[in-house]
Amino acid sequence: MPTVAELSDLYGNFMLGPQPGSDVCRVCFNLTNGYRRCYACAHGGRWLDALAPISYSVAGEQLHHALAGYKRGGGPVARRFALELAAVMWRYLAGHERCLVRAAGVECFELVTTVPSGERERDDTHPLRRMVSELVAPTRGRYRPLLHRSEVVVAAHEFSIRKFDVDGELGGRSVLLVDDTWTTGANAQSAAAALKRAGAQAVGAVVIGRYLNRGWHDNDRRLCGLRPPFDWQHCVHCRNEKSTD
Amino acid sequence: MIPAHESAALTVLLRQGHRTPRAYADLLEETGSALEVLERELSGGDGQISLLPPAREDLIAEAMADIAGWRDRGIRPLTLLDPDYPENLRAVHDRPPLIFVAGGLDPGDAKSVAVIGSRRASPAGIDTARRTAEALVGAGYVVTSGLAAGIDTAAHAAALDAGGRTLAVIGTGLNHAYPPRNAELQRRLARECAVISRFWPEEPPSRQGFPLRNATMSGVTLGTVIVEASATSGTRIQARQALAHGRPVFLMSPIESQPWASELAARPGVYVVDSPAEVISTIERLHGPGALVG
Repeated sequence: MPTVAELSDLYGNFMLGPQPGSDVCRVCFNLTNGYRRCYACAHGGRWLDALAPISYSVAGEQLHHALAGYKRGGGPVARRFALELAAVMWRYLAGHERCLVRAAGVECFELVTTVPSGERERDDTHPLRRMVSELVAPTRGRYRPLLHRSEVVVAAHEFSIRKFDVDGELGGRSVLLVDDTWTTGANAQSAAAALKRAGAQAVGAVVIGRYLNRGWHDNDRRLCGLRPPFDWQHCVHCRNEKSTD
Repeated sequence: MIPAHESAALTVLLRQGHRTPRAYADLLEETGSALEVLERELSGGDGQISLLPPAREDLIAEAMADIAGWRDRGIRPLTLLDPDYPENLRAVHDRPPLIFVAGGLDPGDAKSVAVIGSRRASPAGIDTARRTAEALVGAGYVVTSGLAAGIDTAAHAAALDAGGRTLAVIGTGLNHAYPPRNAELQRRLARECAVISRFWPEEPPSRQGFPLRNATMSGVTLGTVIVEASATSGTRIQARQALAHGRPVFLMSPIESQPWASELAARPGVYVVDSPAEVISTIERLHGPGALVG
């Protein structure tokens, strides 16, 4: 069986870890022109207590291809991607979940759940759910399918406090929300809103890829400055602490 | 099997369209049909093909005629959506939307490893290439290489001698052989195994062709073994591409003494190995049962 370290090492050659900075969104680590929040984070919902994007996912590049491919078709290619992405998630959370816990201002995340997919029927069999509930050791014991799409019709990239529903009461527990990709954050923020409505004390999110397009503004030059190999020793939050010490 | 219309539609798109091959690969996967992509491009939107309907019919007819001509010479176009398109290649971000195959592909070809190296190989390098190819064949792997002189030729020949299967991924169209003295080996591989190219069959050798070939070869295989290589070789390009694909690279230990190789050896996913057996055990572990251990 492949080890987590060995499989995730292979992704270390193209993953690009976000670095906090004065021209990087403090919420989602989007590259900005000197703004502290990107447009989507400044104008969208603000329900998440902290977010950890593991890597940038650049349009057309290998991580972006894997993040699209693991949910396509369910064949051997999709299953392979799911396993590799699970290794990335496992290694990252084993090293840095506590950094996200601190950033969210809680003791721990008692529960783990995933952001439901666009199509409601696909949810029970969605590979992200399988990753988090079966493949990734740091999350599988705490996984609960807490969220589902509500009856309210909301567009894919739109935030709404009513987009998702939670069955039952969370009674002050804290939740780690997992998603594959962050584009505008509308889905993750909507999910966090639903969890808070159901009584969650805090919600932290981890996403594998923060989507970026090289053609946008200065992105290409700035992404070229983030050279692989990926640094598994530091995350956006433990880097932050260092810089403010 | 996908009807010839699909490959004809894709041929028109790649010849006339304004997008990159990679963009067409994405569109193919999103829509599930080259014909649908062609319809969309013709009906407007960005990247559209500016053609009047009669010209469109002509272009499709021309593509169909070309495909028939290629098929007569034993060359089969495969689109990314064709079930026979190599599974490993589909998994890389720079997969070509259209490839050409002489010979027959087999689902078992997914269990394939590239063995590559210098064109001006030393006798020791040739020996290592042969032993590596034999060991891979013995363990049930397909040996893939680039039909170049030196290490590539030794790897193909040793795989055939060992009664195994060997694929060539070449840097020209399938109507050409480069170097010309490997034309006979190329014909034999097409007859007994398969030769793959991402170039139009008529395309001659070119400077840009060979790096693209290396990316395709990395894509087709589970990993790349580098037997012997100089600092300026295409082999180094393939090492970089394999890592960009998330595939392991194996350096046979003697080359570690070269500065470029020791630099490469420091990258994650690069294994310096003393024997072909280590290559095989590593690949078996990386592709073991679908679960993870911490």
